[in-house]
Amino acid sequence: MTETKISLSLPISGMTCASCVSHVEDALKELPGVSNVVVNLATNKASLAYDPVRVKLTDMQRTVENAGYAISISEVTLDVVGMTCASCVAHVEDALKELPGVTSAVVNLGLNTARVAYIPGVISVSAMKRAVREVGYDAQERSEGADALDRERQAREEEIKRQGRNLLIAGIIGMIVMVGTFYDMFGSLQAFIPKFLSYKWVIGLLTTPIVLGPGRQFFINSWRGLKHGVTDMNLLYATGIGAAYGIAVINTLFPNAGFGGEGATFFESAALLTTFIILGRWLEALTRGRTSESIRKLMKLQPKVARVMRNGQEEEIPADEVEIGDLILVRPGESIPVDGIVTEGYSAVDESMLTGESLPVEKKTGDNIIGGTINKTGAFKFTASRVGKDTALAQIIKLVEDAQASKAPIQKLADWVAGNFILGVHLLAVVVFIFWFFFGYQMFFDPNSSFILSPYKLGEIGVFGFSLLLSVTVLVVSCPCAVGLATPSAMMAGTGKAAEFGVLFKGAEALENASHLQTIVFDKTGTLTKGEPSVTDVIALANQEADVLRLAAIAEKNSEHPLGEAIVRGAQDRNLKVVDPTSFNSIPGHGIEARVENRDVLMGNRKLMRERSVDFASLMSKAEKLEMEGKTVMFLAIDGQPAGLIAVADTLKEHTAEAIQRLHKMGVETVMITGDNLRTAEAIARQVGIDRVLAEVLPQDKAEEVKKLQAQGRKVAMVGDGVNDAPALAQAEVGMAIGSGTDVAKETGDIILIKDDIRDVVTALEVAHATMRKVKQNLFWAFVYNTLGIPLAAGLFYPFASLVISPELAGLMMAVSSISVTLNTLLLKGFKPSLWSGRGQNLSTTVQLKTAQASTGND
Amino acid sequence: MEHEQVEKEVARLSVRIYIPIALGAAVLFLLAASLTGDYPLVARIGGTVWVGLLGLIVSMPVVISRVKKQFQSVLLEK
Repeated sequence: MTETKISLSLPISGMTCASCVSHVEDALKELPGVSNVVVNLATNKASLAYDPVRVKLTDMQRTVENAGYAISISEVTLDVVGMTCASCVAHVEDALKELPGVTSAVVNLGLNTARVAYIPGVISVSAMKRAVREVGYDAQERSEGADALDRERQAREEEIKRQGRNLLIAGIIGMIVMVGTFYDMFGSLQAFIPKFLSYKWVIGLLTTPIVLGPGRQFFINSWRGLKHGVTDMNLLYATGIGAAYGIAVINTLFPNAGFGGEGATFFESAALLTTFIILGRWLEALTRGRTSESIRKLMKLQPKVARVMRNGQEEEIPADEVEIGDLILVRPGESIPVDGIVTEGYSAVDESMLTGESLPVEKKTGDNIIGGTINKTGAFKFTASRVGKDTALAQIIKLVEDAQASKAPIQKLADWVAGNFILGVHLLAVVVFIFWFFFGYQMFFDPNSSFILSPYKLGEIGVFGFSLLLSVTVLVVSCPCAVGLATPSAMMAGTGKAAEFGVLFKGAEALENASHLQTIVFDKTGTLTKGEPSVTDVIALANQEADVLRLAAIAEKNSEHPLGEAIVRGAQDRNLKVVDPTSFNSIPGHGIEARVENRDVLMGNRKLMRERSVDFASLMSKAEKLEMEGKTVMFLAIDGQPAGLIAVADTLKEHTAEAIQRLHKMGVETVMITGDNLRTAEAIARQVGIDRVLAEVLPQDKAEEVKKLQAQGRKVAMVGDGVNDAPALAQAEVGMAIGSGTDVAKETGDIILIKDDIRDVVTALEVAHATMRKVKQNLFWAFVYNTLGIPLAAGLFYPFASLVISPELAGLMMAVSSISVTLNTLLLKGFKPSLWSGRGQNLSTTVQLKTAQASTGND
Repeated sequence: MEHEQVEKEVARLSVRIYIPIALGAAVLFLLAASLTGDYPLVARIGGTVWVGLLGLIVSMPVVISRVKKQFQSVLLEK
């Protein structure tokens, strides 16, 4: 039986660290029919493929819930028109409930509404409306219905608010606890502090609401996970806070119980540990959303309404209801709702939000326009050609989302470490406890020893209290949340930043691979050159140069050969009148002959002239010189006599040399691959400074050439137009499809360069380097905290220094590690590619949004 | 078998394994503390509880995932 797999992205809530990632992944992987599960902590999404016959969405929902997390559910209210009775209610409800991704649908006949709970990303509101319409009713989304983006923002804001409230409570009470705990050290200031605050039972009473209020979340979450056999960092917090608080309560109520008595009431540890952990959570919630700002910016571009012409009347409808073929009117200043082709009018459109190009692009009848861009000057009408998820903007968003949901190889290692870390840390906590209980305390304990950065002495603490203290501190200091955040947060920021400059990474792996590149192979035609030959030189023997070109153009007028077309274009560009020839005959592989203005015109290569015995000896040195420059020379004979030469060449793109130069500065070897002969290829390579030329390579052999470079141990990228270069793009470590314009998702290649600008290869590499630098810095900081913190917490240096870390300092260190990682990632926001300044100063850099089908790629 | 039923069965079987492991670790600690040194009763009891708790935390996820894997492979064979 064949399996039909559906890919989907589930929004997961409740994940806080890398171990949560592996728990959700493991839980989903265990379901029959579910495969390719990748969970991303930074995006809070689980990407997977599933077989709808073997597993239902509700199974996934239950599984995720059983693991202690939840699939975020959004709600929307639809106004349903046309319902008259209870059976209508059932029809609408059934139609909605049958949709994959809808978890519940409640229709209210009295209010004519349908309240639908659904999984965003699996089903869209427009699909729900379509389903209702298909069963004979009409449905509109209520204006107050929040879309997925708003929901996500709302959820984040709620989390910030919740943790902010917790922080306020814990912070204020925690300060009072601190003042009370260190009352004896305030000296003359004691006069301003009520004495009762220093009583242990008062400190205990003040700590209790912190632990049971703001700190309750850790106990609830860890118990929920533990019930299903999963351990996450909430458990580290819960055991840490619980142990510190429990021992403090026992020592306050029963000072002679042998746990260390009043000298070991760590209420302030429990209070401040809770406060610092919540401070970390709050700051994380504040900063985490900012790393995904780029995708948010792209999403915001999606216009809400479209002005459609129906029956000669303007009608404003939601943009997601525009259908292919609809005629849409756009006024100055308005957003273009969907992709289409201009049918009437003229304007300039700002496409900078999608392509990064700063100058508005002129649009006239027949030109393509992209949804989400902004009309600047004139009004125009266009026919919708792509709507909904097929628009360029939707494809770009999908591509960026997919990239952000994917995992880089470096992240897989970090996830594995973090995923197994918590279990390891609990084992270590047992070892630390046993060591200090049976050996360490007797051998090294010094009653005058104290906590780091604290005058607080350990004093009369007993063997159990001391061993427990170190064991708890190990648990708290080891939290791997920074390790879990290090890579995905940087990847999100990097891929999003690249998208702002028109560079789309298809996955985190592509970004990581791009940072290791040593050699870049460029396809010549259409990549380094414009891919469109043009006349570069005209040499006349006796006639005027213009005459030579005009006669040649008339002779070639009916030719379909690219060189012939170039000559016709060349003549037209010089305002020469190109009339029809009297007769025309193509000589395949050699040239053409034609009757023009009562003269016999023969045009073609050297061989043709030799065969027809036309002597070009006097022009041969000039012909050879032109060929040395990489140009193709056409010989023109009139009435059997040599008349002149016309040189045609594919011209370089404007910024090719600049980009190649920059790549050399980055230490990257550049290679040009082409089907042209070696002389022509080398001439082009010389002009731009390419290091190595692979000439006379057939399209099907390009991949083989890439393989040969890889066999030399080079990390190779291939840059091509993505059509005839597809095998080579696939063979290379990184395939870059250039100038893919609106067909972004269909292109082969790991990186899509939206614009037809070779400088974006440099941008892609620079973004990749900057992102990987951030990943490495983040991982360094995350591991440094843990690798330094754990031995310190375990008391490794205690025998020499008589100092231990208090649990609250461990909590602060842990919080600082997460925040430093996130803040470091946010520095990527200021990234600007080196070849970006000054772009848009030249009209010729105007974006060429061409479809893959239209690309030439003839070498 | 329904997914939820499988989960319940796995939980039931797992409890029988991880509870004895955690209790075993705790008892071992108690024995060691009682036999090797002159530790106060409270320290011995406190240590036993702490080691038992950490033993439970360590063994629970390991046992549950192992049992789940075995259970699923048995179901597949059937």
